[in-house]
Amino acid sequence: MASAAAAAAMQPSSLRAAPVEDRRIAVAPGQASLTGGGGQTAVWAYDGTVPGPTLRLRQHEPVRITVENGLDEDTTVHWHGIRLPNAMDGVPGLTQPPIKPGQSFVYEFTPPDAGTFWYHPHADSLVQLGRGLAGALIVEEREPVSVDRELLWLLQDWRLTKDGQIAPGFGNMMDAAMSGRVGNVVTINGGPPADQKVRVGERVRLRLANASLARIIALRFEGHRPIVVAIDGQPCDPHEPDGGRLVLAPAMRIDIVLDMQGDPSKRYAVTDDFYDSLAYSLANLVYDTGPPLRPHPLDAPLRLPANPLPAPDLAEAERQEIVLQGGMMGGGKLAGVGGMMGMGMPGMNGEAAWAINGVSMTGDGHAGMAPQFTLKRGTTCHLTMRNQTAWWHPMHIHGFSMLVLSRNGSPVPHRQWQDTVLLAPKDMIECAFVADNPGDWMLHCHVADHQMAGLMTVFRVT
Amino acid sequence: MKPIYAFAAFAVAIATPMPALAATIDAIMYKNPQCSCCEAYAAYLEQNGFKVGIKPVNNLSQISSDAGVPADLEGCHTLMVNGYVVDGLVPVDIVKQLLTERPAISGITLAGMPTGAPGMGGEKAGTWTIYAFTKDGKAPTVYATE
Repeated sequence: MASAAAAAAMQPSSLRAAPVEDRRIAVAPGQASLTGGGGQTAVWAYDGTVPGPTLRLRQHEPVRITVENGLDEDTTVHWHGIRLPNAMDGVPGLTQPPIKPGQSFVYEFTPPDAGTFWYHPHADSLVQLGRGLAGALIVEEREPVSVDRELLWLLQDWRLTKDGQIAPGFGNMMDAAMSGRVGNVVTINGGPPADQKVRVGERVRLRLANASLARIIALRFEGHRPIVVAIDGQPCDPHEPDGGRLVLAPAMRIDIVLDMQGDPSKRYAVTDDFYDSLAYSLANLVYDTGPPLRPHPLDAPLRLPANPLPAPDLAEAERQEIVLQGGMMGGGKLAGVGGMMGMGMPGMNGEAAWAINGVSMTGDGHAGMAPQFTLKRGTTCHLTMRNQTAWWHPMHIHGFSMLVLSRNGSPVPHRQWQDTVLLAPKDMIECAFVADNPGDWMLHCHVADHQMAGLMTVFRVT
Repeated sequence: MKPIYAFAAFAVAIATPMPALAATIDAIMYKNPQCSCCEAYAAYLEQNGFKVGIKPVNNLSQISSDAGVPADLEGCHTLMVNGYVVDGLVPVDIVKQLLTERPAISGITLAGMPTGAPGMGGEKAGTWTIYAFTKDGKAPTVYATE
C-alpha cells in the first residue's frame, strides 16, 4: 500500500483515484466482409469484428480488460507498444499462463504514454494474427491536438484463396525463410479500401497502423505532403518523411498530419510501392466540391505533447549487441542451426530458419526461455542490432520504447522513439532505452513467420 | 548429369533431333520480389535457349502449392514452361529432358537452394534429387539425380 500511495503522490492531483475502467473482449471465430461484393470470409475476431474494436483509453488512467477465449486453442493478448507491468504483457509461458479455451484473463494497466498502439495475440501468433485477430489501441492525449478530424487506417494483409477464404499453408518453410506470409488482399479497417472523402483546407490527423503478418507497406500521398508527428505512438519532431514515403513494417504505427490543400472534387491516389514491380494504388483521397474550410492551412503547431519517457544516459550506458542470422541466401550464417547443412534450406521440417546471436528461440514464448542478457534496473541499455541476413526485419521490443540513435553509422534525426525498428538487409541500428521496468521481456522480429522460426530473444531487467 | 534412366534418355536423344528445343523456349518465372538468386537462375536459362518472363509475386508459396508442388519439396521460385512446372534451381539439362520426354506429370522440383546449383554460388556438395510430382495426391517420385 505504501508504494501505491507513493506512486499516486507522484501523479498530478487531478489523476488521483481515477476509477478503473472495465472493458471486456471476446475472442471467437466469426465472419468478415473483406473484399466487398457480399462475400464472407471465415475469420477469428475480437468481439466479432475485423479488426477488433478500437480501444480508446486515457493517458494515466487505469483500465481493466477481461479477455474471454472462445477459440478452440490457447490465446493471449499483447498490448503492443504500451509500457506496462511485465505480468500484463501477454506472452504465454514467459509473462502469464496462456488463456485456455473457455477461460478468461484480466489485464490491468495504466497507460503512461498517449499515442497509437494496437493489440494482438501472442499465442499461435502466425495463425491467430493471420486469421484476423488485431485491433487498434488509442491512448488519447490529455489535451486535444489541433486538428479538424482524426482518422485511423488499420492495415491488414490477407492471403485468400480464389473463393475468398483464408488460404491454408501457415508455417510454409519458404515463407518462413524468405519474406514471411505476405498476402494478396490488403484491407483498411477490415474492408476493401474505399475513397477517403476530404474537404479543402481541413487538417487531418491520420493514424496508420500496419497489423499485417509480413507485408511491409510504403505509402505515398499523391499531391500531398504528410508530416510525421509520431512513430510507434511516441511523438517525434514533426518532419516530412524521406522522399514523401512512409515505410510501415508489420506492427509499426505512424501518425501523420495532412493539410488538405488539393483541388475541389479532385482525386489523389495513395499508393504502396514497397515491393519492386508490385506497386499498387491502395486508396484515394477524394475532395468534395464544397468551399474551403479555411482560406489558408491551419497555423497551429504540429508537435504533440511529449510522453514521460525516461531519458537514456548514454555516457553510462551498458552496451549490448544482437546479430540477426539465417534465412534464405543467408550465406551459411545459420550453419548448424537450421537445415543449412544439408539441403541448404533453412526452416525445413519445422526447424529454425533464423537465429539471434546463434540461438534460435522458436514459437510464441514459453516457460524457461533463458535471457540473452540481463540489465540492472535503471541502467541505460545501448543496443546495437546487426542484420546479417538478406531480408527485412521489423524488430519489436516488449515493454520499452527505444530512442533510435543511428542507422549504419548515420545519426537518426527527429528524436524517434520506437518499439518496432525496421532493419533492411545488412543494416546496423543503434538505439537506447532505460531499463526501468523489471521482468523478462521479448525482443523479436514482427514478421510472424520469422519470429516462429527463431528470430526471437529474451532479456531480463532485474 | 546422371539421370536414373540414362540409357532411355540417351536413346530418345539419338532417335529425335529435338526440333522443339532448337527454337527459343518461352517460360514464366514466379519469384519472391526480394530474392536475387532466382534472377541469376533466369539468366542461366536464357544462356541455354530459354526466354524467361519474370513475375515477382508476394505469395510464391501459394502459387507453387496451387501448381501442385509438395510443400516439403518447394524450390525458391516456380517456373511454368510448355505445360510443366519446374520448381527451384533444376539444372537446364534436366529441364530439357523433361520437355523432350513429356512424361505424364505436373512438374519437377529441386527443393531448397542447394549450394552450387545454377544461380547459387559455392561448390556442389552431395547429390541432388529432382522429384517428379503430380496433382492427383500421389507421392512424389525421383525424376533424376545429379
